[in-house]
Amino acid sequence: MITLRTEFKKIKRKKIGLTMCALIGVQFAWLLWSGSRPNESERLQGWIEMLHSLPLISVIMMPTIMSVLASRLADVEHKGNTYKLLHTLRRPGALYHAKVACGTLFILAISIAQFLFIIALGYARGYAGHPDWNYYAAAFALNLACCLSLYLLQLLLSMLFFNQMIPLVAGLGGSMLGLILMYIKMYSFLPWGGFLSAAQAAMDWNPETRIVRFYYREFSPVELCAVAMIFVWIVGFYTAGRILFARKEA
Amino acid sequence: MRTSYMRAVKAESLKLKRSPVWLAFFALPLISAFFGTMNYKLNTGVLKSEWYSLWSQHTLFLCYFFMPALIGTYCSYLWRLEHTRHNWNSFLTTPLPVSVLYLGKLTQAVRVSILGNLWIFLLFYVCGRFAGIQSHFPEEALEWFLCGTLGAVVVCCVQLLLSLVIRSFAIPIGIALAGGILGLYMTTHGYGMHYPYSLYCLGMRANNPNMEIRISTLIVNSVGFMVVFAALSVFYLRRHEITAN
Repeated sequence: MITLRTEFKKIKRKKIGLTMCALIGVQFAWLLWSGSRPNESERLQGWIEMLHSLPLISVIMMPTIMSVLASRLADVEHKGNTYKLLHTLRRPGALYHAKVACGTLFILAISIAQFLFIIALGYARGYAGHPDWNYYAAAFALNLACCLSLYLLQLLLSMLFFNQMIPLVAGLGGSMLGLILMYIKMYSFLPWGGFLSAAQAAMDWNPETRIVRFYYREFSPVELCAVAMIFVWIVGFYTAGRILFARKEA
Repeated sequence: MRTSYMRAVKAESLKLKRSPVWLAFFALPLISAFFGTMNYKLNTGVLKSEWYSLWSQHTLFLCYFFMPALIGTYCSYLWRLEHTRHNWNSFLTTPLPVSVLYLGKLTQAVRVSILGNLWIFLLFYVCGRFAGIQSHFPEEALEWFLCGTLGAVVVCCVQLLLSLVIRSFAIPIGIALAGGILGLYMTTHGYGMHYPYSLYCLGMRANNPNMEIRISTLIVNSVGFMVVFAALSVFYLRRHEITAN
């Protein structure tokens, strides 16, 4: 707890919260812009469509947002060259846990803000009925898990490399890969494809009639494996980060 | 002035020596080209405009979302060298005008952007041939390249200013990604020519290769943005007391 509190003290005036708000604000602006004047049929499908739009936006932005968050938290140590000092006061494991916990709190706040926003937006636009809470709860939990897996990957890279260009480029490359994979299959076993695998809604577009229909996905066994893979990545990245950080020469 | 400029460029080149920062400009277009070509081959029934269809597949996501962020990464790296340790002291006491020092950084950013653009076009040509497109390579490609490069220089100027003012490495990259996304909105609403992050995509015709744009407006606006952002950067360097870390 003390280490976590110290972590927040270290990032005081670093404006990490403000940066996250600004980046999530762009996501909100995008959601506001896409479908700002829904017609009757769009209002009927509105709640399902939200669960299709959010993963699409997340797959583009979240890997980079997570790389920015991880880089900001790790860069404090790189710039101050404080690893050696901190290791003498605390076990490396404790320091790593504090960084993970600090980032997780930010991610939790981001995910809550995202879902509160889409629910408020849905009501403001007058979507028919209410959100299907089971699907929304599943989408929230999986969105959180995807963000966490990407954050752990980025934290690992940001801690290991002094040159922050490497983790940031990995984040950008991941965003691109995730986005492109979305056009090939509705699931992916890569960490950046987690948002896609976990999407609760899918779209059916009829080229003849040009009518778009959204529906809740029924996951096939392979798709469920892809969803499970998100948790495998979390465990893998956490373990790798813990071991590599503890072994890292200060 | 010319000698000073050459010295500044040479100094920047030395700072970047053996640094694998150019690898990102190599890797991301490669991912985009590979999957873009694959998608084109899988959908030749719908994508019938051969080179033009392939061009959209290669550049749509790359130009809107990732190229501004990639240029932002490079610009952040250029200033990070000064932001770390006591390098501002040596940078600002160099016996060269700050405008020349800035031009040295800008030249590096522009150089890597041009090389990145050349790589995108080379991949486009090679993938087109591999995809079995038999028609002639579009003549407009040279115009796309030149206009796209102009737009990339604007992004370089904006990102150099952001990375100069914001000491963090990551935040300007996040801003570049957000800027690229907002650029999509601006372009679709007809304000693309007046928004710095949209000029690159408009120049490259990433959204629609058959799109007609007013080249004169693109050039005037690009030069205008370049002058404004470069002047702001030099002004900041001259007036603001930058302390070494």
